Amino acid sequence: MKDIREDIAWAKINNDVLKSLESPRKLFWVIIICALGVFGIGVGCEVYQYSTGLGVANMDNPHVWGLYIASFIFWIGMSHSGTLLSAILHLMHADWRKPIYRFAEAMTTFSLMTAGLFVAVHLGRLWQLYYALPYPNERGIWPNFQSPLLWDAMAIFTYLSSSILFLYVGMIPDLAICRDNIHTGWRKKLYTLLSLGWEGTDRLWRNFRVTYLTIACFLIPLAVSVHSIVASDFAMSQQPGWHITSFPPYFVAGALYSGCAAIITLFIILRYVFKFEEYMTLSILKKTVRLTFAISMVWTYLNLIEYATVWYSHDEVAKAVLLQKATGPYAPFWWMMNFLGSIVPLVLAFKRFQTHIPVLLTVSLLLNVGMWLERWMIVAPTFSHGYYPWTWDHDQWPSLVQWGIVFGSFGWFTLLFMVFCKVFPSVSMYEVKEMVYHRSQATKKLEATGKMATAGKGAH
Amino acid sequence: MSVTNLLENWSDFRHKHPVEDVPHDPYKWAMSIDMDACTGCNACSVACYAENNLPVVGKEKYAHGQAMHWIRIERYWPEDDREFPDQGAQFLPMMCQQCEAAPCETVCPVGATNHTADGLNSQIYNRCIGSRYCSANCPFKVRYFNWYDYPTTENVWPAEMVQQLNPDITLRSKGVMEKCTFCIQRIRAGERSVKNEGRILRDGEVQTACQQVCPTNAITFGNLIDPDSKVHQKWKAQRVELDVDEQVKDKEEGGSELRGYRILEELRPYPSVMYMERVRESAI
Amino acid sequence: MIDNDFDRRDFLKVLGWGGATVALTGCGFTSVEDGKETVVSYVEAADYVAPGISVYFNSTCAQCDAGCSISGRVREGRVLKLEGNPDSVINRGKMCGLGQAGVQHHYNPDRVREPLLRNGDKGETITWEKAYALIAEKLNGVSGDQVDFLTGTVSGHLKVLLGNYLDSLSSKNHFVYEAVSPAVQRAANLKSYGMEMPHFNINKAKVVLSFGADFLGAWISPVHFAQQYADFRKGVDGQRGVLVQVESKMTLTGANADRWLVVRPGTEGILAMGVINALGAAGLHLPANVAAAVKDYDKERVSKDTGVSTEHLVKLAAILKERTPSLVLLGSAAEGYAHGSENAAAINLLNQVLGNVGKTVEASNAVPFPQIAPATGNSSALRLANNRLADGQCKVLFTYATNPIFTAPAEMKFKDNMAKAGFKVAFAHYLDETALQADLVLPLDSALEDWGTVVAEYQPDGVQIGVQQPLMEKLHPNTRGMGDILLALIKQRRAEEYKSFDDYYAYLRTALLNNKKEFAEAGIEDDIFWNDLLSNGIINVGGNPNKLVSKVATDFQLPAPVERDKQYPFNLIPSVTASLRDGRHANQPWLQESPDPLTTIVWDSWVEIHPRKAAELGIVEGDILEVASKNGAIRVQAYLFPGIHPDAVSIPLGRGHDALGRYAKGYGVNPFQILDRVFDKETGELAMHETLVKISKVGNRVIVVKDEGPAGGQQAGRKIAVSVSSDQVDLSEEV
Repeated sequence: MKDIREDIAWAKINNDVLKSLESPRKLFWVIIICALGVFGIGVGCEVYQYSTGLGVANMDNPHVWGLYIASFIFWIGMSHSGTLLSAILHLMHADWRKPIYRFAEAMTTFSLMTAGLFVAVHLGRLWQLYYALPYPNERGIWPNFQSPLLWDAMAIFTYLSSSILFLYVGMIPDLAICRDNIHTGWRKKLYTLLSLGWEGTDRLWRNFRVTYLTIACFLIPLAVSVHSIVASDFAMSQQPGWHITSFPPYFVAGALYSGCAAIITLFIILRYVFKFEEYMTLSILKKTVRLTFAISMVWTYLNLIEYATVWYSHDEVAKAVLLQKATGPYAPFWWMMNFLGSIVPLVLAFKRFQTHIPVLLTVSLLLNVGMWLERWMIVAPTFSHGYYPWTWDHDQWPSLVQWGIVFGSFGWFTLLFMVFCKVFPSVSMYEVKEMVYHRSQATKKLEATGKMATAGKGAH
Repeated sequence: MSVTNLLENWSDFRHKHPVEDVPHDPYKWAMSIDMDACTGCNACSVACYAENNLPVVGKEKYAHGQAMHWIRIERYWPEDDREFPDQGAQFLPMMCQQCEAAPCETVCPVGATNHTADGLNSQIYNRCIGSRYCSANCPFKVRYFNWYDYPTTENVWPAEMVQQLNPDITLRSKGVMEKCTFCIQRIRAGERSVKNEGRILRDGEVQTACQQVCPTNAITFGNLIDPDSKVHQKWKAQRVELDVDEQVKDKEEGGSELRGYRILEELRPYPSVMYMERVRESAI
Repeated sequence: MIDNDFDRRDFLKVLGWGGATVALTGCGFTSVEDGKETVVSYVEAADYVAPGISVYFNSTCAQCDAGCSISGRVREGRVLKLEGNPDSVINRGKMCGLGQAGVQHHYNPDRVREPLLRNGDKGETITWEKAYALIAEKLNGVSGDQVDFLTGTVSGHLKVLLGNYLDSLSSKNHFVYEAVSPAVQRAANLKSYGMEMPHFNINKAKVVLSFGADFLGAWISPVHFAQQYADFRKGVDGQRGVLVQVESKMTLTGANADRWLVVRPGTEGILAMGVINALGAAGLHLPANVAAAVKDYDKERVSKDTGVSTEHLVKLAAILKERTPSLVLLGSAAEGYAHGSENAAAINLLNQVLGNVGKTVEASNAVPFPQIAPATGNSSALRLANNRLADGQCKVLFTYATNPIFTAPAEMKFKDNMAKAGFKVAFAHYLDETALQADLVLPLDSALEDWGTVVAEYQPDGVQIGVQQPLMEKLHPNTRGMGDILLALIKQRRAEEYKSFDDYYAYLRTALLNNKKEFAEAGIEDDIFWNDLLSNGIINVGGNPNKLVSKVATDFQLPAPVERDKQYPFNLIPSVTASLRDGRHANQPWLQESPDPLTTIVWDSWVEIHPRKAAELGIVEGDILEVASKNGAIRVQAYLFPGIHPDAVSIPLGRGHDALGRYAKGYGVNPFQILDRVFDKETGELAMHETLVKISKVGNRVIVVKDEGPAGGQQAGRKIAVSVSSDQVDLSEEV
C-alpha cells in the first residue's frame, strides 16, 4: 500500500496544501450550498420556535426533553476524537496522525460549537441564558453549583476554549507559511495577524513544542471529563434508565466511537474535495479504521455491561425501561442502534474493506446514525416509561420543527468545517514535513544497517 | 446562594429537609389525602384552575400532553383479569408532593426551584430559564412546562375572561416551569395577617383551594409541626414520619391496620403528602 | 396608611354585613342603579374598596338546580372565584367543578350582548324598547291559549313573576322541561312515600344499595350527597358504610362502590325483587302481599335475568339484613326504561321491606310558600309542548333556560315544529341551538350579575331559600336580568299593579320584606333584615314536614327481559356526566378540559364499549364507530371501558353542539339526537335508556385525547394507589 512518499519535496508539500486554500474541487461548492440550505432550514425552525414557544417542537409533560438533548450529546461526543488524534496520539508519538489531526481538531471545535447551540435551542427561555453563568451581581444570586447541567456548561466552555487554543497554537507555523506564500488580499492580513510574527527560529520552535505539549496534556483529562459530565446529567438523576454508574465511561467510549466514525467520513470527503490523496493516504485511513473498530468493540462491551447490570439488578423500574426499549414503540430504533453500533462495525474487521472507500463512507455514516440513535435511546425512553405509570407516554414523536433544527445543526457544522478547511490549511504542513523527515531518516538508518548487514553477510 | 455562603456553610447546604439538627420552625406544610373519601369528582382540579390561573390549553395541545393541571385525578383499575371492575375504580389526586429532599431542586442549573424554610418546594418563575431538568428528574411527573405563551394564546383567556384571573398570582410566560405550590399565595397572605397579632397560623386558617372545595374533605392540609393540626394528628395516627423511607406500616409483618403511606417513598424524596389507602368492604 | 378620613366603623360594618353595600348602592362597588359609574376609582374609591383586599359576597349557584349557596371572591370590582358558603345546609362550604365554572359563564366571551331580531339568517341588534314593543305587538290579538312558555326549572320569585305574567296573558301553558331529571322517581316516591323528594340520609345508613343513582356525580344534589357519603364512609361507631351500586354502565358512584354489580340493561327492578326474595329466604319477615309478589323471583331466575351471580345476590341480601338501617336509592339508570315506573316501584318496595322508611328515608319539609317552590322539570313537558307546536296551537313561544333543539330527540322534530310558531322569543345567555331559531333573542344577565331567589327541589334540612345577588357590575351594558324583563313585560299588561316596582330588585325586596315575619325575629328593622339576608346569602325557613307514609304496593308488573334485537344489538346508555350534564354549560372551558373521571377523556365525546365485545368486533381504542339507532346515526371515537355491560354502549351527554360558543361548537357528538321515541308508560317521561343501536367501524382511527396514558390505569406493580380490605383496618381508631 502506498504511504506518503518519503522523498516528497517540502516545497511540494507547501504547494499542495496551499492549493487547497485556492481551488478545491467543484464538490466543495456543492457541499457549501447544501450546508447553507440545511442550516437555513434549521434557522427558520428556530426562529419559529423562539417566537412561538417550545411546544412547536412537540415535546410534552412529562416528555420534556427530546432530540435537542440527544443531538447535544451526539455533538459533544463527536468532539472527542479530535482530541484523541491530536493530543493522545501526539503524546504516544503515533506519527501517522500528523496529516489528519488538524481537521480532526477542527471537527472537535466545531462540533462543540454545535453542541453549545443545542443547549441554547433547548432552553425554554433562551433570552435568559445568562442566568446560568456565574457572573457577579449585586443580588448575590449565583447559579446552582449542584446541578450537573451547570457542570456541563462549565466543562463544555472550558473544553471549547482549550480546543480552540490547541487548534490555533498548533496552526501557527503553518499560518506563517501561508503568510509567506500569499501576497494579496484579506487573507494576507489574516495570516499575518494570526501567525503572530512566527519566524521559525530555534527558540520559537522550542517554546512552541513545550506549549503545544502542555496544552495537549491539559486537554486529555478535559476531554474525558467533559463527556463524563454530560453522562452525569443522566447518571446523577434519579430516573430509571439514567441512574447508572457505568454511564461516564460508556459515554466516553460512545463519544470516541462516533468521533472516529466521523473522522473517517470527513477524511474521505476532504481527501477528494481538496485533492489530498497524496497526504491522506489509504494507509492512514487503514489505521484510523482499525482504531475505530477497536473502539466500537469497547463501546459494545460497555453497552452490554449496561444492559447486564440493569437486567441482573433488582431495580424493576430500570428493567422495565430496558424492556420497553426492546419491545415498545422505540424498539425499531433501539434495535437499529444496536445493529448499527455493534454489528455493522464488524465490516471494519475485514482487511479488504479497511481501505475500500465506498464501503468505508457508508459504514462510517451508518455508525454515526447508530450513535445518534444511541443518544436518542438514552434520552427518550426514560421519559416515556419512568417511575410513574400514569404519565407513561408512547406517542411522543418530534415535530418537523424539532427535526428541522436537528438537521440544521448538521448544516451549521458542515458550513463551519468546510469554510475552515478553505481558509486554513487542513493538513498540517510542518508536521507532515516532520513525519516525512523522520521517516526518511529512519529509512536511511535502516538502509545503513541493512547495508552493513549485507556487507557482514558478504564478509562471510 | 452566594459563593461565600456556599463555602462557609457547605455542610449545611442542602440540609433543609428535616434532619434532627435542623427542624422546621414554625411551619412545615404538609397534606394528607384520604383515598377512601376521594370520589374522583374533579372539583379540586377545577378549583386549582380558578385559584392559580392555570391555562386551558385546548384539545389539540391536550392531545400533545401539554395540559397544565397542577392537580390531576388519576383513575386506577384493579389489576386482576376479571371481566368487570366489580370493586370499582380507585381515584388518586396527584400534585406536587413538596418533597423534602426534592430531586427537582438539586438539578436546576439556576436554582429556580428551592426549598423554603416552611418545607415547600418553591418555584421562582422569574429565575427559570426552562431547562426542564427539574421535570426530567421528578419521579411523580407533576411539573408542568409552559410550552406556549398562554397569556397570548388565542382563546385561553379571551377578552372578558382575563378579569377572572387571580391577581395574587402572576401569569406564567412561555418557557417557564410551574407546578402546585400548596397555594403559597394563601399561605403567605395568612402568615402576614397573623403576624400583626404576633402569633402563627392556627390549623384551618389557611386552606388550599383544593382542600377548601373538596366535598368529602378527602384533602387535609396544615402545619405538620403543630400538634393541634389535623394533618399532624393524621400523620401521627398513621405513624408516618417525614424523614424516613420506611414507615412502621412497612415493617409490620402480615399486613397492618395502618392506611397511611407515601408514594415512591423508597426513592427517598421524603414527600410531604401522605396518602391513605382506599378501603374495600370484605363482606360483599 | 389609614388616613384620618377613613371611617373605620363604616368599613367594618360593610365587611360584616357583606351584601349591605350591595343593597345600598345597587351593586357592590359602583352605582349600577343609576348607571353613572362604570369603573372603580382608586382616587375616590368607596371605603370598602381597598385595592388588593378581597371581599366575599354570598349568592346562589345557578349552574344546576341543587341550589348550593356560594361565596364569591370579589376584588377591585371583579368576581374572581366562587367558593362554597359554609352556612348553607345544602353544600356546607363545598362546591363541585360545575359550580366553580360559573365564573366562566359570567365572563364568557360568547354571551349574547344585545337584543337581536331575526332578519333573514342574521340577527339584527335592536333596542330593548323596540324589543318590548315588538313582544307587545306580537301578543296583540293572540289568545292566551296560544302563548307558550317553555323553560327549565324555575323557582323563587322569578317563578312567581312568570306565573303572574302568564296569568296576565291568561295562558296556562308553562312547560317546565329538563332533559335530565328524576321525574319517574318523583312519581314513584309520591306513591311509595307520599312525597316526591324525601330526605335520603346516606350518612345514617350502614349499607347503601344504589340502583344507578349517581349521587356523587350528577344526581339531584351531588355536593350535598358527597358530604353525606364522606360521613357514611367514616361510619357510625367506626363501622364503615358499604356501598353497592347496581347499573349497566359504571357511573362515578359505581366507581366508588365496594361492590359494583353489572346488570343487563333494564333488569334493575327484577334484581330488586330478587333481593327481596333472597331477604325472605334469609329469614326477613315479608308482608304476605310482598312475599306473593316476589315468589317468582328466586335467585336462579334473577341471576339468569340480570346477570348478577347468585352468590352476590345472597351476599347482598345477607349484608342488607345484617346491617341496618340501609338505604336503597333509585337513579336514572333504573328510571330510563319504558318500564321505569315499575323498576322504581320495585326498588322503593325494597326500601320499605328493609324498614328504611322513617330511618334513612325521611320526610322532607314542604316549602312554606308554595308559589316559590320550584317548578321541577321533566321531559313529558317537552312532549306536550312539542305536540302543541306541531299542531300549530302555539303562536308565540317563549323559551328560557332550556335548549330543546339540542336536547330533544331528533325524532321529535322539535326544530321543525318550533318554526310553526309565529313568533319565538328566546331569553338567552348564549346563542344556543334554540336561540338561533328564535325570532327575538333577549340577552340575559349572568347569575353573578342578577338578583333572584332560588329554592332547590332537594332540601336536606328545613327549607333554604338561596338569595342571588350581583357580585359585580354588569359586564355588558345591554343585558338584563330575567326578572327585570318579566317585570317590564308584565307592566305592559298590568301597569297599575306593578308601577311601584322600578325593577326586579325592588320587587324582590318588597316581596321579601312583606314576609319578614316569616324569616326573622319580630321587630327587626327593614334595612337590617335586608342586609342580614344579603350577607347570609340564604334564608332558612323551617317549613312543615311533609307526611311520610310507606305505602307498600305490589300492583306492578315487571316485564321479562327482552331478547336482544338482531339488528340493533346494543342498548345505548346516554350517560350524564357531572360536569356537562345536559350540555348547557358546555361552553365553559374548565368543564371541557376537566377530564371525565372514569375515562379521563377531554374535549370530545366517546362511546364506551366493553373490551370483550370490542375484541369480538375487532374494535380498538380510537376507532371511529358509527352508532346508529332507528332514528339516526352519530360517529364517535371508541373507548374500551370495562365498567359497562357487554350488551350496552354508552355515550356521554352534553357535547356535540353546533352552536353555543367557541368552546362547545364542534366538540363531540350529541346522543340526544339519536334517541328512540320511547316513553315511560306511566309518567310519559322519555325513556332515555331504551334506545337500541348498532355499531359499525367507519374505518378511520384517532388518538383519544385523554389524561390517562397508555398504561391505562395500571400501576405496573408500583405502590401508587393502594387499597386495603375493610377487615384489615379499624377506622374508629383513626383521626
